[in-house]
Amino acid sequence: MTEIVRVQHVSKTFHDKKAVNDVSFSIKKGEVVAILGPNGAGKTTTISMMLGLMHPTNGDLKLFGLDPSDKKVREKIGTMLQEVSVMNGLKVKELLELIRNYYPNPLSLKELIQLTGLTETDLKTRAEKLSGGQKRRLSFALALSGNPDLIIFDEPTVGMDITSRNRFWKTINQLADQGKTIIFTTHYLQEADDVAERILLFHNGSIIADGTPAEIKARIAKQAVSFATDDPIYSLEKLNKHAVVTNIYQKNNRVIVQTEDTDAVLALLFEEKVGARQIQIENGKLDEAFEQLTNEQQEAM
Amino acid sequence: MKILRLQCKAEMLRVLRNPYFVFWSLLMPIVFYFIFTKVVNTGAPDKTEWQAHYLMSMTSFSVMGSSIMTLGIRMVQERQQGWATFMRLTPLSDTVYFFAQMMGQTVIHLFSIVVIFTAGAIINGVTLSFTQWIFSGLWILLASIPFLGLGTLIGLMRRVETAAGVSNVLYMAMAVAGGMWMPLEIMPKIMQNIGKWLPSYNFGNGAWEIVQGNAPEWRNILILIAYLVLFMLLSKYIRRKQEAV
Repeated sequence: MTEIVRVQHVSKTFHDKKAVNDVSFSIKKGEVVAILGPNGAGKTTTISMMLGLMHPTNGDLKLFGLDPSDKKVREKIGTMLQEVSVMNGLKVKELLELIRNYYPNPLSLKELIQLTGLTETDLKTRAEKLSGGQKRRLSFALALSGNPDLIIFDEPTVGMDITSRNRFWKTINQLADQGKTIIFTTHYLQEADDVAERILLFHNGSIIADGTPAEIKARIAKQAVSFATDDPIYSLEKLNKHAVVTNIYQKNNRVIVQTEDTDAVLALLFEEKVGARQIQIENGKLDEAFEQLTNEQQEAM
Repeated sequence: MKILRLQCKAEMLRVLRNPYFVFWSLLMPIVFYFIFTKVVNTGAPDKTEWQAHYLMSMTSFSVMGSSIMTLGIRMVQERQQGWATFMRLTPLSDTVYFFAQMMGQTVIHLFSIVVIFTAGAIINGVTLSFTQWIFSGLWILLASIPFLGLGTLIGLMRRVETAAGVSNVLYMAMAVAGGMWMPLEIMPKIMQNIGKWLPSYNFGNGAWEIVQGNAPEWRNILILIAYLVLFMLLSKYIRRKQEAV
């Protein structure tokens, strides 16, 4: 598969403060990637460098194998940034027609309306008179107007209500099915988990995890089996001898067994006859993983 | 080429729909013209000469205003609202974008000139020879370029409020001190001496000379060119300082 984005050892320093610290990753055609992280993790700075709006202090970035500010790159990307950008004095339709003309193979106005849910009334309204939600829709339409191969969004759903958010992600899935490469930043874990095939987890300017949502969850082994028993001391001793158990402890009246293989632990419970009742299997949740990873990183510093 | 044409068209539409432009650059000069040639008796010795002179003053006043204010404030707005960033991310080249803005602005100036000249002809029956109409119009169009330079300089400011305030003060001060509201000759000597070095006076004077049947003075042209160079160098210097990220 073709490599669309290549970021190699990129750092960005603002007045002695390292906003991005030696970040490397590569994104292939058709991937849907979430850049996830708390505020100030370096997501927007990374996006800005990928778009050629900022120059890295060190390192090298390429989009489609070219410098991000190359005209050929500009023709293949569509962007929606955090600031809601509008051009005063033009009606939505006039603006879309104008921007479409910048690109060699633009989407038709009809397709744009279909994808973004702009209404007939929206089209006749002047850009400066649109509501926040309508402006977002317009920005989305502007981002798609050139029929881009690579779509980059910085915090796309901030300020959207639930209906428009659902609609937005539905459209993104549709675009992903067409083979478009999509990169978006978010600090909503749920969004990253639901939409992305791959998550780049940023913290303090570095990537601390890179993988599918499932891999990220699995990596930190938050899976556990818990049960109640009349003799917790006995079960602790018995189970702790087995290598499949990574950690075991008693919490309230329950014994918690942390493991990477819950099935094996279940079998053990009956083999060792620990008298387990009310057995529960707990799968790791992404937000727990997220919290744990970002906390670990803080403690390490 | 098609993009340039569309971009120019869009830029013109935007200016025409701007209520500030319509008020300050079309309505105000015409109202002033009406007041100072019809309502108030200025006691000018030669009435027809004064009517032609003041028509040139008001047209220059209008074009100077839209060069400084419309252009400058819009540039700040576009940057503040993130539009300028969006445009940088499109394949449209910066040169085409800038050129289209200037072209759009020039066409708008031409429009203002025609409207205000027509108003003068209707209100006072100002009669100039065909070449005088053409040359005074052309002069106002071309000699306004230094004010476009000043407009882009104001466009480098960070906040719309500052840009609006500064450009308003500059605009009014230059109009009054440059003899656009009342002739320089009736002002104190010291004001006259200062006024003659301002771009506004040299801008207006070219047109005043043309309606008198003369050519603009060399001095006017040289001073305007000097201001253009100054504004361009200044904006280049400031831009470089701002871009040091």
